[in-house]
Amino acid sequence: MQKDEIKAADPIRTDISEIPQPEAKVEPVFGVRIGTMGILVSTSRFCEVLDKSQVNVLPNVHPWISGIVNLRGNLVPVFDLRVVLEEGAGDSKKRRLFAVDRDDKAIALWIDNYPEIKNRAAMHIVQELPKLPPVLQRFVTNGYELDGLVWLDIKFEELFKSLGSHQ
Amino acid sequence: MKKTFKTDLETDPVAVIEQLADESAQAGFYGLQDANLILVEAVRELQLDSKADKDISALVVAWSDLVEKFKDSPQQTSVDMMVFLRSPELNIPMEDDEFTMLGEQISSDAITAAEATDSDNSISAQPSIEEHITSIELLADQAAADGLYGLQDVNLLLAEALREAINDGSAVGTTELINTLSGWSGLIDGYREEPKNGALILIDFLRQPCLTMPLGDDEFAMLQEQLATERSTNQPIDEHSISETADAAPIAQDAKLNEEEFSAPVSRDALELVDLLLQASEQVRSCLLEIGDNDSALTGLTQTEEELERFASVAKIAGFEGLAQVTAHIISNVKRFIEEIESFTIDRHDLLLEWLNQVQEYLPSFNESSAGQLVVAGLMDDQWALPMAFEDLANILAQIRTESTDVGSQTEAARVESATDEDVSLALPSDVNQELLDLLLQEMPLQTQQFSAAVQRLQAGGDQKDVELAQRVAHTLKGSANTVGIKGIAQLTHQLEDILIACAHEHKLPNRALANSLINASDCLESMSEALMGLSSPPADAKTVLQDILDWANRIDKEGMPDTDTEETVPATQMIPGVTVETAEVAEKEVPEQIQETLVRVPAGRIETLFRVSGESIILNSQAQETSRRMRNQLKAMKVQFDLLQQLGAELEQLIDLRDFTGRSLAAIGSGIDAMEMDQYNELHTVSRRMAEAAIDAREISQDANKELDKMNELLDEQQRLVISVQEVVMQTRLVSISTIAPRLQRSIRQTCRMTGKQSELVLKGENLQIDGDTLNAMVDPLMHILRNAVDHGIESESERLAQGKPATGRITFEFDRDGNTILVRCRDDGKGLDYGAIRAAAEKRGLLKPGEEVSEDELKRFILRPNFSSRTVSTQTSGRGVGMDAVRAQIVNMGGTLTLESQQGRGMTIELRIPLPLSLTYALLTYVGRYRIAIANKGISQIIYSAAGEVVSEHDGTETLHLEGNNYPTVRLMDLLHVPDHRKVPRPYGAILMVENDDKTTAVLIEAINDSKDVVIKGLGRYVGKIPGYIGATILGDGTVTPVLDIPELLRAPVRSMTGVYTQPMETFEPASMLPTVLIVDDSLSQRRALEQLLTDAGYRVRTSRDGIEAAETLVNFMPDIVLTDLEMPRMNGIELASHIRTQEKIRHLPVIMITSRTTLKHRQMAEESGVDGYFTKPVRDEDLLLKMQNLMELAAEKMKTSA
Repeated sequence: MQKDEIKAADPIRTDISEIPQPEAKVEPVFGVRIGTMGILVSTSRFCEVLDKSQVNVLPNVHPWISGIVNLRGNLVPVFDLRVVLEEGAGDSKKRRLFAVDRDDKAIALWIDNYPEIKNRAAMHIVQELPKLPPVLQRFVTNGYELDGLVWLDIKFEELFKSLGSHQ
Repeated sequence: MKKTFKTDLETDPVAVIEQLADESAQAGFYGLQDANLILVEAVRELQLDSKADKDISALVVAWSDLVEKFKDSPQQTSVDMMVFLRSPELNIPMEDDEFTMLGEQISSDAITAAEATDSDNSISAQPSIEEHITSIELLADQAAADGLYGLQDVNLLLAEALREAINDGSAVGTTELINTLSGWSGLIDGYREEPKNGALILIDFLRQPCLTMPLGDDEFAMLQEQLATERSTNQPIDEHSISETADAAPIAQDAKLNEEEFSAPVSRDALELVDLLLQASEQVRSCLLEIGDNDSALTGLTQTEEELERFASVAKIAGFEGLAQVTAHIISNVKRFIEEIESFTIDRHDLLLEWLNQVQEYLPSFNESSAGQLVVAGLMDDQWALPMAFEDLANILAQIRTESTDVGSQTEAARVESATDEDVSLALPSDVNQELLDLLLQEMPLQTQQFSAAVQRLQAGGDQKDVELAQRVAHTLKGSANTVGIKGIAQLTHQLEDILIACAHEHKLPNRALANSLINASDCLESMSEALMGLSSPPADAKTVLQDILDWANRIDKEGMPDTDTEETVPATQMIPGVTVETAEVAEKEVPEQIQETLVRVPAGRIETLFRVSGESIILNSQAQETSRRMRNQLKAMKVQFDLLQQLGAELEQLIDLRDFTGRSLAAIGSGIDAMEMDQYNELHTVSRRMAEAAIDAREISQDANKELDKMNELLDEQQRLVISVQEVVMQTRLVSISTIAPRLQRSIRQTCRMTGKQSELVLKGENLQIDGDTLNAMVDPLMHILRNAVDHGIESESERLAQGKPATGRITFEFDRDGNTILVRCRDDGKGLDYGAIRAAAEKRGLLKPGEEVSEDELKRFILRPNFSSRTVSTQTSGRGVGMDAVRAQIVNMGGTLTLESQQGRGMTIELRIPLPLSLTYALLTYVGRYRIAIANKGISQIIYSAAGEVVSEHDGTETLHLEGNNYPTVRLMDLLHVPDHRKVPRPYGAILMVENDDKTTAVLIEAINDSKDVVIKGLGRYVGKIPGYIGATILGDGTVTPVLDIPELLRAPVRSMTGVYTQPMETFEPASMLPTVLIVDDSLSQRRALEQLLTDAGYRVRTSRDGIEAAETLVNFMPDIVLTDLEMPRMNGIELASHIRTQEKIRHLPVIMITSRTTLKHRQMAEESGVDGYFTKPVRDEDLLLKMQNLMELAAEKMKTSA
């Protein structure tokens, strides 16, 4: 059994006061870096960085499903979007697990750094999205450019249901 | 209306009243206008009579006063007006019912006037005190005429007091006084009907300071006594007494008139509501009676308050608004009692009980105008923490008097002729009482089932008991639906009850046609019940069904019950095919009535949580047991070490004793005693001895620890059993009886029989078996399909069956049984069985068989399970839409089950389904596959053998075969099944072989080793990971690791998939739904979309829906249905525009389009046809007609396509 220990991290607190408060509208979102892309996650979702969780690998599943984490009695699937982005599986020792939602709705993602809090209202929409794998492209609603990275707004449920389907 | 007519009074009283009539009409009081005009006629008659001349002016004055008063206290005055108009002096030639109608009209005006007064608080319209005095004097005269001298006195005293007040100026402009006086005539009326309470109320009224009555307490008491006694001695109240007192004819007649005037007819509905309220009042009483001492007072009053709240709520819903208001006042008092519990005395307790007694006395006679007095009597008593103000009391009393004619009167109206959409509406009122609704939802499924069972027995013969049962259930349902406010159910059950009552009264059983209608109605009720529970959409045919029942009810009203059929009188056309449906249970025994435990409604999510938590407990227990096992091993190792220590200690001791090399030197020091003469021990002796003893002690402690560990293990085992029991009990809460799907199956067979014109009956056996609700829901579709197939393909026509010596009615049996962890369903029919010739011909046509090729019947059977294989050359709308047993099999296989067929030509077919039930706990073998740790559920494993027991031989084609005890078994490695890469040049060795049963064959599965075996709790992999072929779920092991739990038979059936390291599209697996014909439903009404969706899904279509033409046009860009059903009127793009759009698009122009609309005119139909619509249906649409049309159009379109290709 492969055990990937995640050395990590504090639970995330959505401290909106940390965000600069310009006169313009503020719309805070979590930004997580995965490979060459960034993914935006609504702050209305319950999010946490998992500390030292054991990822239990599964046979006969899609390669982007790294395994399962036992999160307080709920089995949470772990997705590796780098595999979906065709950038190869990253080094799990250097990455962290980012869990979104709770109970049976929870999923975990490998992320390359701690989540950052971004202001969507201050981000510029990308007119033309970079070429993405079809499975991802279908579920991207918007792209924003910030800090030299493209941050994607995704249809969360639809994307992960599609990635989790084995039918 | 000012008294500008005074001057005309003497010269032309008729003109005065006509003026009043005109003014009434202008004010919108048409009832009052009628009353004036009637009075005009009466006055004209009186004028012709010279003797009456003198009275006319007084009468007109009195009337005009009443008209004036009407503005301020319309409801009370309307009653007074009717008393006036009924006066014998006027001699108005009208019947009682005409008076009643006029009274209702004036009451209606009164309501309008009251609303107007509410919105415009004009004080200027108040009658003056003088006018009140005139009225009071008139009342005094009336009292004298009736021989009620006490009442006359009271009126005269009041009038006198008022005159005094005017004279001394104290009454000028006193609004309070004027308001107070407006209630007086109502109280007089109340007194006339209920002298005892009425007298008390009259005296209470007179005692008010604002009236400044110059009477002392003694005088008041005397007056009360006189009032209370004279009424009962002078005038009998009892209607029977009236009729018996022939001598007192004028008075008695008058009294009877009054009696009739105020006693509205009571409908059955009203009586039910009264029953309901009486029950609720009993609850209040029981709470009050529990109050015994100070300690129980607080609890009792709190409970009383809760029950009173409930009572008030029911009263309000039932239409007893006045009673609800009084109850609200009582609740305020009770609240005050609770706040000041010390002041809650026995007197106050009695006060509450007395009020309740009066309410219980009032309710059965609420329709009598005087009854309301009971509810308000004594509320001004000082004993109350909050005595009721007189004005409030008068208003409430007026309210109650109005209700006496309103409650339940609506349903007593003439039976409607035609059903409307509103009559079948299941919409909940905006202020629905959730508690009552929950109660209805809880009881309704059982009640509708009872009703259905009873009418089915009636259809099959039955007796009066069934009529009574059905009537009782309809009655209960109606009451509940009325209370909650669900009109659709209330209306249907109301009509059903009336029909069944007629059956009971005339001692006739429903004939076949009526029984069929009742069955349709019971189907409709069941569908409504399901719709309310959120399980399905409201029945589409509800209006048609209600109309049918209404027709029956109206026919029975006019012509009485139809005669019961004799064999000769049943015309063949009246027989609805397929309605001879019975269940084994129904046929064999009576359905028990309402024998059930108290049920508790719990949110499903809570049960899920409980289930999850109990699963967690089992996992934690496993972890504790695992830890205990490790501790035992450590203790064993420790014991070995202790044994060694003990042994070493003994050896050391021996050495010291034998050699004693140190002891000698120590003993010799200064003792002078030889060592042989006395044992002498030195420190080494002592230490070695102590060490040996410590080793023994440690060993014993270790043994004790072992014993404790044993005890702990026993406790853990016990706890494990307990938690597993908890989980099983929780699992049981998710179980549903199979009989709950019986109504749907029955409806389906009836519908199919109607469409095919065949006669069949459905018998269910073992339907009381309880299985997991989700599994049952998933089973419904395949079972319905099998049922339709059996009727359509299996059962012969009536003539064919008779020719073959079979009963005219085909018999289809669904038998449910449980076999281990699977549910076994045997579906048998006594039809013609499989037509092997036709299957062979179809197989040859498709190139699956060569002409003349030898093939067994078993192999031919397998053909019909192949995708898209149909032996029929012409498909039908019922089951042959290109979907056959292959689709059923696919659905069953997707559920992890199996399907087998048995057929006997000419005698019928049996389809056996085995469907696994969801597992929460399974016994599993633990093994490794490469780096993966795996739990293998014991499901399907018939034998475990060790590698040496058989020989695995590699075949030329790369496959392997196990030779075991003379048999050869196909062999596969678990590693290959799971696509785990193995880079070894030689195959991995295997340590164990699992013999797995799957699809009637045994496969040997090779695994490396069995590392452990245990019960494991199965958990899901979260919402986002779909079903992984071969996985039941995953489990958390004792050490906290998560491993998948495999279902090897399913894994063996799973399609081979490629799991490479790079992104691949998810593999498409066999999707039965993809073979179904597709339909696009376009309708802006959600309920219509849902109704059609359910109908067509049940009929075997794959359905997509759109909300309007624009959305449909967008859907059609990427989705090609086989047919489109559209509404006509929709926002953005209507049905005609949509049809035109479809006809202009090259890709979809061939699509058949059916329009379903409520527009019945030829113009709309022509517009639709011009736009390219192929079929036009007006609502309500018969399901069969729609399905038939769809089938025809689809076939036509397919033909066209073929021709053009």
